Amino acid sequence: MRTAIFALYFLTIIAAAPLRAHHAFAAEFDANKPVRLEGTVTRMEWINPHAWIHIDVKKPDGTVEKWMIEGGTPNTLLRRGFNKNSLQMGTVIIVDGYQAKDGSSKANGRDLTLPGGKKLFLGSSGTGAPRDGRDPTESKR
Amino acid sequence: MAPDFLLWLERTTGSIALHESLWVYPIVESVHVLTLCLFLGTAVMVDLRLLGVVLRRVPVSEVLTRLRPWMMAGFAVMIVSGGLLFYAIPVRTYLNIFFRIKVALLALTGINAWIFHRSIYLSVAEWDLALVAPRRARAAGAASLFLWAFIVVAGRMIAYNWFDPPEVH
Repeated sequence: MRTAIFALYFLTIIAAAPLRAHHAFAAEFDANKPVRLEGTVTRMEWINPHAWIHIDVKKPDGTVEKWMIEGGTPNTLLRRGFNKNSLQMGTVIIVDGYQAKDGSSKANGRDLTLPGGKKLFLGSSGTGAPRDGRDPTESKR
Repeated sequence: MAPDFLLWLERTTGSIALHESLWVYPIVESVHVLTLCLFLGTAVMVDLRLLGVVLRRVPVSEVLTRLRPWMMAGFAVMIVSGGLLFYAIPVRTYLNIFFRIKVALLALTGINAWIFHRSIYLSVAEWDLALVAPRRARAAGAASLFLWAFIVVAGRMIAYNWFDPPEVH
């Protein structure tokens, strides 16, 4: 009996282990719900463990929707060409990403396009971006 | 909404330096998990000895005194690194339901350990060599095992669930 209880206890812990795979994209975001958002930066949260870009998106009917775009860690973003001051308030950006599973106005960012056309990858944790096959100019590995 | 104290804490130089850091935050996170392994790895051995599962021929007091330095060292660094993680992200952590569950469970493990040391463990000389410890000691060991399992799960959930304060939206 005692052996059975402990076997059960450790099996439970082992079963919970895969949940530890870091920052489960699939737990929060839906790879089948890609979104493309054009909006004005209202705030850039340069924070661990994930940065957040806040944008106001104007909808066709004129209303404004507030979105939060999740990026990688500050370290990840720095290595992709960002710094803390890269996104000034008021900058209009286009974000490609994947919407939150719960349907809220949150997305996991794949990449963003700056007004001059320059593109930056957002260090998405989920789709394997930037090597998720969506970029035709990218060399295949 | 979060207390003013936490809103202030989030704006202190140290908190900003931590949550904006390139390396320190992930290192603190790693230290927190590694020292959890050291602490919980040894604590589980003590609990299992009380339950009569491991080290049955070693006196309970010896298992406890030999493992205690490792346990306490792990615990101390784990608490400090955990405190730093809270200091880095105070408001969202405070708003996080899993953080609140974790704090409540931590308080319970403290009470459990305190009761154990102030009651049945006082008479350890009488049952030090018992293959299976008395019921109250076994209960303390079992409670510790289950509370810590849920604390680890709650801690993991904190990292994966963001609770944004309303003014952020």
